[in-house]
Amino acid sequence: MIRTLSEVYAAQLRTSLAVQFQYRASLAIWMIGRVLQPLIYLVVWTTVARARGGDVNGYGEADFAAYYIMQMVVTQATFSWIMWEYDYIIRSGQFNFKLLRPIHPIHADVADNLAYKLLTVVILIPAVFFLAWLFPPTFNPQVWSITAGVFAIVLAFLLRFTIDWTLAMCALWTSRVRAINQTYELTLIFLSGYFAPLAVMPVWIQNIANFLPFRWIIAFPIELTLGRLTPMETLLGFGMQLFWLAVAQVALSLVWRAGVKQYSAVGS
Amino acid sequence: MAEPVIILENLSKTYLVPERDAGVMAAARSLVQRRHREIKAVDRVSFQVDSGEVVGFLGPNGAGKTTTLKMLSGLLHPTAGVGRVLDFEPWQRQRDFLKVITLVMGQRNQLNWDIPASDSFELNRVIYRVPPTQYRETLAELTDLLDLGPLVSKPVRNLSLGERMKCEIAAALLHRPQVLFLDEPTIGLDVTAQRRIREFIREYNHRHNATILLTSHYMADVEALCKRVVVIHHGRILFDGPLTDLVKRFSPHKTIGIEFEHQVEAVDYSTFGAVIEQSDSRVTLRVAKSDTAKVAGRLLAELPVSDLTIEDPPIEEVIEQVFAQEVAP
Amino acid sequence: MNQLRVFWTFFRLGAMNELAYRVNFFTQIFQAIMSLVLALGGLAVVFNQTDSLAGWYPTELIALVGIYLLVGGLINLMIQPSMQRFMEDIRMGTLDFMILKPEDAQFLVSVRQIEIWKLIDIVMGLAVLVVALVRLGTQLGVVEAISFGIALLAGATIVYSFWMMLATCAFWFVKTENILVIFQSMYQAGRWPITIYPGWLQMMLTFLVPIAFAVTVPAQALTGRLTGQTLLLAVLVAVVLFALARWFWRYGIRFYAGASA
Repeated sequence: MIRTLSEVYAAQLRTSLAVQFQYRASLAIWMIGRVLQPLIYLVVWTTVARARGGDVNGYGEADFAAYYIMQMVVTQATFSWIMWEYDYIIRSGQFNFKLLRPIHPIHADVADNLAYKLLTVVILIPAVFFLAWLFPPTFNPQVWSITAGVFAIVLAFLLRFTIDWTLAMCALWTSRVRAINQTYELTLIFLSGYFAPLAVMPVWIQNIANFLPFRWIIAFPIELTLGRLTPMETLLGFGMQLFWLAVAQVALSLVWRAGVKQYSAVGS
Repeated sequence: MAEPVIILENLSKTYLVPERDAGVMAAARSLVQRRHREIKAVDRVSFQVDSGEVVGFLGPNGAGKTTTLKMLSGLLHPTAGVGRVLDFEPWQRQRDFLKVITLVMGQRNQLNWDIPASDSFELNRVIYRVPPTQYRETLAELTDLLDLGPLVSKPVRNLSLGERMKCEIAAALLHRPQVLFLDEPTIGLDVTAQRRIREFIREYNHRHNATILLTSHYMADVEALCKRVVVIHHGRILFDGPLTDLVKRFSPHKTIGIEFEHQVEAVDYSTFGAVIEQSDSRVTLRVAKSDTAKVAGRLLAELPVSDLTIEDPPIEEVIEQVFAQEVAP
Repeated sequence: MNQLRVFWTFFRLGAMNELAYRVNFFTQIFQAIMSLVLALGGLAVVFNQTDSLAGWYPTELIALVGIYLLVGGLINLMIQPSMQRFMEDIRMGTLDFMILKPEDAQFLVSVRQIEIWKLIDIVMGLAVLVVALVRLGTQLGVVEAISFGIALLAGATIVYSFWMMLATCAFWFVKTENILVIFQSMYQAGRWPITIYPGWLQMMLTFLVPIAFAVTVPAQALTGRLTGQTLLLAVLVAVVLFALARWFWRYGIRFYAGASA
């Protein structure tokens, strides 16, 4: 079972890579935006830090630099566009073909997503060095925190993809998916540590963020890799990631089953 | 020994469509109280298909053909009734079921546009877990029968409609399914391509004893491939039996074509039948079936006929008659 | 002029077509609100930690956000959809219909496609701007208002010319639809005054992708920060780019007409 699944992933990955490679110009243009975003926030907060005499809640200029460089990496690693696509996939009848295959459609989508990341790493790595050169970051890595950080990023990807894919299934019930997706993204931006380190956000936002899965997708892997967490906090973080992953998995299988039932009652 | 492979018993699919009149008042009312209209897309359809049969599934647009095929392939679940394919309940969508069927939709592509067909084939091979030796054999056979050759290495985007359809069909058959649902596979193709695909289907059925349920608007497809047809209209079965019987039952006419030995002056044919075509040396008449023998006899006796042929009207006409007879609910 | 009438017709047609889809009205309102929350939320978080950002005060930045939404709405109302459609037409070969008409083809191509619901963005941007201006109150004089108007007009012209030139590339490279995305990806930088960015980025955002002229310069005009030099520069750049876009268009059309047999 595992052998065939990995074969499917390998084959699907090859296909996606071949397809996306043809659109590499578009991918490159997309990346401009994705590199620019953390850069903008970095500049804004650096300006604020300078105005406050060097420090905002424990983050100096170099700390912000390190944070946003890492944010760019983590965002790129966990990001997906799947919930924007599914409305089209369903309306166009493509979903029928996904249903006819003897495997769960999520696998093809994961492979497609991974292909995108493999291709764009070629732009991501230079971008990291470029930002680091422009805004020298503090980076005192410890081997254990970097290693743990890698695992945290992988878990973060799984968690975020599960949530995103479950959200994508909403297209089976309504065509107003844009509103749902936009709300989700807005929440993510402010409550995950994407817009700014959570330490810098108003306290009430920090409190809300602790009850949602988003900070474990973005903020936790960043803080961990940068060596800002104690071993205790790290364990707690992993625990939360696994907890939310379990919750998301349950949600996904429930929504999927209900979704297929809904779809097969109505058709496309 | 032929066994039923596809079984439908009183299979039904009803949709509830919200109904609303125009105007502001009606819009406001509909917020509180929703009215629904029932649309019976498939209405208590029953028939069986034996292993190895090629059955033509005919009906005008909106008759319920595609809905039935979608139910049999598991994409839709019925509102009522029983449907079984190879002893599976299709809408359970079990893995083993999905591996033994295939659905080809004439106007939709499962092939990826940007890459050569052969890459999509490879992907299917892995997804359907086709053993390498069987895959090679199947691919060779399909390439040969469909004359794929160089087509598979070009990006699908660059293929013509007919070439694309051939590749689509190949992709759908790589896992050697036992049951084929073909929904208008030849639509929009030129005559040569249509004939090619028809020949392929016949050959495939012959070699693998695959069970095939085929819908098409082209009578040429049906005449060439299907000994048996099931006619559906407004969700109900109108006819299920040999194609020849369809003509016999539903066509109340026959056509008589006569050729003359020499030119004749104007003849009033109204006593014989309705004139369909007329030229100096030929006349084609439409005659009521019951009168055919009598009229033929009279023509031979009264006119200098050198050749007389009696034919059934073209099947398209017959089908049109069938559809026209059914009164919409 | 006849061109005004033509424009009004396109506008009316676009509106009539879309008004049938009332759901899009609500979709657009929601989207505009989301953009607003994102922009203002960001400002709120930042100003929780500081009183001013590179010399800009909260109300001034709110005015900037208003201009950002307003200009964004203008671009998405007409420029973006028309340019997108124009590039598609080249790819599909349907551009000929435009060229055969007895009206200037560049004009037709530029005003043809109108996303009527983006008016909501414009209205929202204006509302935010007005609120900010009211709170700024005393600082707004006639000079500022006039220079704001000129700056806005210059900015709009520059943005249009930029998009026009990008889209004209499609005459030569058919597979370039995504080139328009460059502007949209970089536009988000306009939510903040470009003076905070490092010099090289400021250059890029001014001369490579003219976001500075679109958003920051009008905001500077409104808040009394605009020097006469910058305003003059904006006007000059607008005139030059517009002429350049026109020339490039004619060059492209000649190529197109010659190339397709």
